[in-house]
Amino acid sequence: MNSKYNRYILIGLTVFCLALIVVTTFTDQWLAPLRTAVGYLVTPIQTGVNRVGVAVYDDVADYTKLKSALAENEELRRQIGELTEENNRLTSEVFELDRLRELYELDQEYMQYEKTAARVIANDSGDWFQVFRVDKGSADGIQEGNNVLAGGGLVGIVTDVGAHYATVRSIIDDSSRVSAMALQSGDTCIVGGDLTLYREGRLTISNIQKDGDVKDGDRIVTSNISSSYLPGILIGYAKDITLDNNQLTSSGYLVPVAEFHNLREVLIITDVKETGDPEVE
Amino acid sequence: MRRALVNLALILVAFTIQNCVFPLIPVLVSTPNLLLILTFSFGFMDGRRMGMLYGVLAGLMLDLFYSGPFGFYTLFYVYVGYINGICTKYFYEDYVTVPLLLSVANELAYNLYVYVFRFLIRGRLDFMYYFRELMVPETIFTVVTTLFLYRLLLFINRKLKDYESGRDTTLV
Repeated sequence: MNSKYNRYILIGLTVFCLALIVVTTFTDQWLAPLRTAVGYLVTPIQTGVNRVGVAVYDDVADYTKLKSALAENEELRRQIGELTEENNRLTSEVFELDRLRELYELDQEYMQYEKTAARVIANDSGDWFQVFRVDKGSADGIQEGNNVLAGGGLVGIVTDVGAHYATVRSIIDDSSRVSAMALQSGDTCIVGGDLTLYREGRLTISNIQKDGDVKDGDRIVTSNISSSYLPGILIGYAKDITLDNNQLTSSGYLVPVAEFHNLREVLIITDVKETGDPEVE
Repeated sequence: MRRALVNLALILVAFTIQNCVFPLIPVLVSTPNLLLILTFSFGFMDGRRMGMLYGVLAGLMLDLFYSGPFGFYTLFYVYVGYINGICTKYFYEDYVTVPLLLSVANELAYNLYVYVFRFLIRGRLDFMYYFRELMVPETIFTVVTTLFLYRLLLFINRKLKDYESGRDTTLV
């Protein structure tokens, strides 16, 4: 009798889960309040544990780093000399750059986006997905689809928002696809994450038109035809671009600017791309 | 009842450690799947019904954390609880071989489940790469962790059981 009940419970739960999977594959809007409610319980715990973890880790790391820091200090002193000299030279070049920018109206747009800083409080521990959670949410003006930056480059996109947390999918996640373009030539391409490549610190670039001009070392930025990414955000540099077997498109690899291991703080752009035209992509 | 509450708290702690502490340790090639260890251990110790309950909770946490199709993890963890609950008839205290075998089986099943429904389905066919780079390291880490964690869980459960039965007898 008891085991029969158990079987009924199992069947019930199975049907329930399958139904949820089917429904949420199409829309998961109605889950937002539930996620937020659970977020109120879990986020403070995650934030607390994360703080303690970071503090302990930093202490341990401090000791181990002390030795190398001393050697590094010597090296850095030497570099300061070189850099001061170089800085003088560059400062004069900055003035020149400013003049040229005004001239060509090339002022990089993404310097003007509204940004807010957030701390990474939880990561996906398994190796299958590259997803992390930050401690800012809709209460701080973050919305689904916001672009996330770190270290001067694109890191990911917000996929889910609660009142005080947001979940970010990295561009190195296997399912991530970013519509991008080469800065020099304007050729569009797709930058995709690939689990088999991310340990080498690479992403894939694909769908470059055959006659497109993308060379090794070209800067790859988010394209202006992307439906979810703001235009002109630096993603990384092209590498090993070769012609595909179909002779129609080229593909290759991308070395991202952002460092993905040990992300602690990120910048979230709170502007959302307004496409206006739903047929853009 | 008290046992269930303690076990629930343990699941919450495991989830937090798994997501907030492990990623901070850069030396680790892979990390043990604590939630899976907890779910199958509780199922194995307490039987199918409790196994399913803990499975639902562990699965819901993961589902709420990720923004994929909701219920994906819950479905799997419910089955982990149930199937390991069937094995409860082989449960003898201090006999650690069965739980170790179970942890290998569960871990491989979990990784295959994720691979088939999240990767193979999108045409990622290089199974051997994923097997070598993800499944094997994670399984090894999980089995080693099970070796220690299982004894700890057993100890906690025994204490709580003693406490509960002790209280019952004083009432009677």
